[in-house]
Amino acid sequence: MMEANLFRALADPTRRAVFERLASGELSVSQLTEGFSISQPAISQHLATLREAGLVAERRQGRFVYYRAEPAGLSPLIGWVDRYRTFWPERLRRLQTVLKDMES
Amino acid sequence: MKDTLVFECELPEGPEKVWKALTVPELLASWLLPNDIRPVQGARFSFESGGPEGAPGGRIDCEVLKVEPLRLLRYSWRTDEMGSTACEDSLDSIVTFELLPTVRGGTLLRVIHDGFPVDLRAPVAMLARQPGSRPGSPFRHLMRKAA
Repeated sequence: MMEANLFRALADPTRRAVFERLASGELSVSQLTEGFSISQPAISQHLATLREAGLVAERRQGRFVYYRAEPAGLSPLIGWVDRYRTFWPERLRRLQTVLKDMES
Repeated sequence: MKDTLVFECELPEGPEKVWKALTVPELLASWLLPNDIRPVQGARFSFESGGPEGAPGGRIDCEVLKVEPLRLLRYSWRTDEMGSTACEDSLDSIVTFELLPTVRGGTLLRVIHDGFPVDLRAPVAMLARQPGSRPGSPFRHLMRKAA
């Protein structure tokens, strides 16, 4: 399930940091590793999870691979938050009716 | 700082009545969702949602985080709609109800829904989904006062 992947990917603070880092520009794994205190294989693992979730895309150039953030991958989450933007006002209108009908 | 949804409405009823509507299960169910709420700090309860009318689907698990009778009620809000196998901490958000008495004997009710798993402001800005909005302003979702 795509959305479960998305949440799993974002649940980890290092992955969130990787995602945010890539949001400011394309980087190779080694460039990316420089900014973190974890090993390159660990970064690669995080990148794989982010890719599966649709949050990161890769571009191959010769023997190098570059990674960049795909903010569109966050759409399910944005949709989830957006749903509450309409949910609460609608429920509060109901509350107003309920209060009017309540005894004391 | 993360994304925050804030809604406000001024109600003619006083805080005691509004508090009841927030904490008595049957009354709460009549406007929000079926539930077994207990307004006691640390109490766990849930909302059942069939998911129609734009409501979130499935079950919402909650834990009461703070209770100040007639003033404030805060609980965690965890949905399983994204797949309950997702990581434990990933789907928590927090809902807070603040009640302020008004000079006219009514209540200013503020609902704050925040604590979303990631800060969406930067990605949202990148997607340019909300042109003209001011990212980060917690008051951009203010609900218009009841007519």
